[in-house]
Amino acid sequence: MAQAKLARDEQLNGWLFIMPALVLVGIFMIYPILWSLWMSFQTGRGMNFSFGGLANIERLTQDPVFQRALTNTLIFLVIQVPIMLVLALLFATALNDSKLWGRSFFRTAIFLPCVTSLVAYSILFKSMFAVDGVINDFLMTTGLVGSPIPWLSDPFWAKVVVISAITWRWTGYNMIFYLAAMQNIDRSIYEAAKIDGIPAWARFWYITVPMLKPVILFTSVISTIGTLQLFDEVNTITLGGPSDSTLTLSLYIYNLTFKFMPSFGYAATVSYVIVVLVGILSFFQFVVARDRSK
Amino acid sequence: MTTTASRWRRSLGLAIAGVSMLAVSAAAAAEVTVWCWDPNFNGATMKEAAARYTAAHPDVTFNIVDFAKADLEQKLQAQLASGTTEGLPDIVLIEDYGAQKYLQSFPGAFEPLTGKVDYTGFAPYKVELATLNGQTYSLPFDSGVTGFFYRSDYLKDAGYDDAALQDITWDKFIEIGKDVEAKTGHKLISLDLNDAGLLRIMLQSAGAWYFTPDGQSAIAGNAKFKAALTNFAHVLQSGVYKQVAGWNDYTGAFTSGEVSGTVTGVWMTGTIKAQPDQSGKWGVAPIPKLDGVEGATHASNLGGSSWYVIASSAEKAEATDFLATVWGKDVDFYQKILINQGALGSLLAAREGEAFKASDAFFGGQAVWQNFSDWLAAIPGVNYGIFTNEADAAVIAQIPALKDGGDIDAAIAAIDAQVKQQTQ
Amino acid sequence: MTDQALPLSTTRTERRTTRAFNFPHLAGRTALYLLLSIAAFVSIFPFFWMIVSATNTAADINTGKATFGTALWDNTVAFFTQVDAPRIFWNSAFLAIVGTVLTLAVSSLAGYGFEMFKNRFRERIFGLLLLMLSIPFAALMVPLFIMMANFKLINTYAAILLPAIASIFIIFYFRQATKAFPSELREAAKIDGLNEWQIFLFIYLPVMRSTYAAAIIIVFMANWNNYLWPLIVLQTNEQKTITLVIQSLSSAYYPDYGVVMVGTVLATLPTLIIFFLLQRRFVEGMLGAVK
Repeated sequence: MAQAKLARDEQLNGWLFIMPALVLVGIFMIYPILWSLWMSFQTGRGMNFSFGGLANIERLTQDPVFQRALTNTLIFLVIQVPIMLVLALLFATALNDSKLWGRSFFRTAIFLPCVTSLVAYSILFKSMFAVDGVINDFLMTTGLVGSPIPWLSDPFWAKVVVISAITWRWTGYNMIFYLAAMQNIDRSIYEAAKIDGIPAWARFWYITVPMLKPVILFTSVISTIGTLQLFDEVNTITLGGPSDSTLTLSLYIYNLTFKFMPSFGYAATVSYVIVVLVGILSFFQFVVARDRSK
Repeated sequence: MTTTASRWRRSLGLAIAGVSMLAVSAAAAAEVTVWCWDPNFNGATMKEAAARYTAAHPDVTFNIVDFAKADLEQKLQAQLASGTTEGLPDIVLIEDYGAQKYLQSFPGAFEPLTGKVDYTGFAPYKVELATLNGQTYSLPFDSGVTGFFYRSDYLKDAGYDDAALQDITWDKFIEIGKDVEAKTGHKLISLDLNDAGLLRIMLQSAGAWYFTPDGQSAIAGNAKFKAALTNFAHVLQSGVYKQVAGWNDYTGAFTSGEVSGTVTGVWMTGTIKAQPDQSGKWGVAPIPKLDGVEGATHASNLGGSSWYVIASSAEKAEATDFLATVWGKDVDFYQKILINQGALGSLLAAREGEAFKASDAFFGGQAVWQNFSDWLAAIPGVNYGIFTNEADAAVIAQIPALKDGGDIDAAIAAIDAQVKQQTQ
Repeated sequence: MTDQALPLSTTRTERRTTRAFNFPHLAGRTALYLLLSIAAFVSIFPFFWMIVSATNTAADINTGKATFGTALWDNTVAFFTQVDAPRIFWNSAFLAIVGTVLTLAVSSLAGYGFEMFKNRFRERIFGLLLLMLSIPFAALMVPLFIMMANFKLINTYAAILLPAIASIFIIFYFRQATKAFPSELREAAKIDGLNEWQIFLFIYLPVMRSTYAAAIIIVFMANWNNYLWPLIVLQTNEQKTITLVIQSLSSAYYPDYGVVMVGTVLATLPTLIIFFLLQRRFVEGMLGAVK
């Protein structure tokens, strides 16, 4: 009897704790999502649209701009996310060592980039990476390059700038998640391992990584989603250029909705490409995480 | 513990109540809200116009809100698309390239002003671009009449005076650029390779555009488009420009004296004159023309914008009357904004005013406004259609190939294919 | 790995191994400091650049001048004459503070709930939420705007706050962090007669304070810097936030970057302050709040 009441309470509380969030999500997410899902089957200009069946999906397969945006987005994902997460984990591990000299300085410094506002950040990066900017000045004086690099006007270098900018801004952010999680790991485990003579890399690999697994999974899913939705940086620093070389799926959706003749149905279809990609990738990330825990 | 919990609950309740209390309406009676995008340019001219109207009609006040241009376009498009009139302004500034896109995609959103404004007094091409099915929707504002702004001191050092810049072709322009760089070390212009503005200037100077007046693609099989793209490719390959990225880089290159000038719209005058130490060192020449093209001129347009009244506005009577009286007739007003903001309106009668006739010491005593007015009258009218942004994007995608000397016909085919795909 | 920790009774052989192990250790340390120093320099440099630029004229900034200038006062005066700064900053602060408090309350509750009271149905809902997280905001702006218009909330701060309170991202974050919350604590509290809500308030909340501190920084920052959505729903100058104002200043035909830089410095300060305030919480957490 008491057991049943306990279980019922548990169920009730389970709902009560999540209820406020569910109500808000229900109101402010479900409707817009259903609207866009419905729209993805509509074709037309502006608010003059009609049911088009799978016409939008057919259009995707023939759209060179979509293919460029998809390729760019995947390139950003494959290169940027691993670099950033490995760096963040590395920094967090180093900074979690209480004997490290200047620890709080380094931690503060590396986190600083993510408190800048988007506007400030884009202005700063544009001016630093200008042809006569500070970065080229530095590279030329140190003799690393012979002539200025056309950072923002060359398709390859523009991608490099975007990747550097995102990494600059978000590495410290991910590091904070790792650091916060590391503080919840019992120090005595490390002490014990140390006394047993287990080297640093092994402590990292066999204690830190498994303990941080939920957070690593969290950051990799979030970063994957963030990169697949990459918009702010490319919109403010490169505008997707030069010649679409930094155009991402999200920026393309934005252009289709707000810049071009509004094509809401097609824009919604492109958004669901991102959803499908995130679904597939998150599934793999969860599977990998589950395997490792066995 | 229960008390803590209930206190916590109460403060959450208060916070939610606080949020809903913020839901107060911002509308006030007979206040006309205007959206524009540059507080120092069109925002300032609108303030001047508003002050004039309020002086005569004290019951009508104005709320002038400025956003970044891209932001304004995004807001407007989001709101019109949502189909709700909530939150729209009474008057909005729209760039001319986008006029037809808004008029055709959102029928009924804008108030036709035909019959309320005397359009015979305005430059015809400005009226035409805001006309749909016989109704004109805009109060034409600034013109984007183009010119070649140049540093007269640099060009003089290289042996070119104003006369040498009259009636030239784009190939001659490139030749001059090479000569100027050899003799003075300054590139001729700055160019952003993520922008197709120069090609648009070339197209319109010959009365051509990406689209035919009835909205069909005019890219493949159009001799004028091919000529413009060929000349554009020549410029790209010539190296007479400094390659820049972004607006600030672009304007910085000529305002700092690094390059010798730029080919752009008259609205750049204010930016150039913001460097008082360069007074007397600038000149303006007509743009080069497309060689051997029928109907080619030295006059073209880049950008420019007009005011539109939102049809659902509660203050549309006041807004319309305001535009028709101040913007539609007040010649003195146009002298004032010309002097203060360097804004060249499209009201032809304003050309007879004093300010337009005056010579400008900044430009070495040239009668620049008179010149611009004359070129304004010569701009070939084209129908921008509704897909300018899409066509621009397709051109920009081919710029690297064109710069590397790629085949013109292949580039045209690629642009045409992308435009057709994007405008279905 | 430092040898001071070794007990004095260590035998000679053990000592030798320790010393032999010290050389790569030292090299490793040097490499570590080098890496961290480079990272710190790269991270801080743009801030230095921003502050330097605030003291320079627009013309100097355009030519890439990297030394302090004398235009700081002029830029500051120009900023305060062009912008109704107290009002704009109040707007931003109000949105960021109220938004942070509400988001943390609702979203941490949900994150805790999803993790602590697992059942299959709720797991499905959670999976659905994660999928929703992946829909780009650009695709939802138009329908969300239509909705806000129907609720008569256009031009109100409620329109900005309401959709952000239940942040799937923060729910996800709290759920992951809750996995590290020692379940013995909950069991012990239950035996002491606390109900679930009391456990959340008096056990979970204090224990997870470093998690909350990180979440506050993140949510405050996101609210303070929020741009796209406020731009769409706010219509008057009086309601604008600092981010909107700076963007507007920086995209004029001829933007004065000296003034813009003063604005960016001022706009960055509050997030910096929050970070420095909460950093102490982190340090406390590091000293072993969980233990």
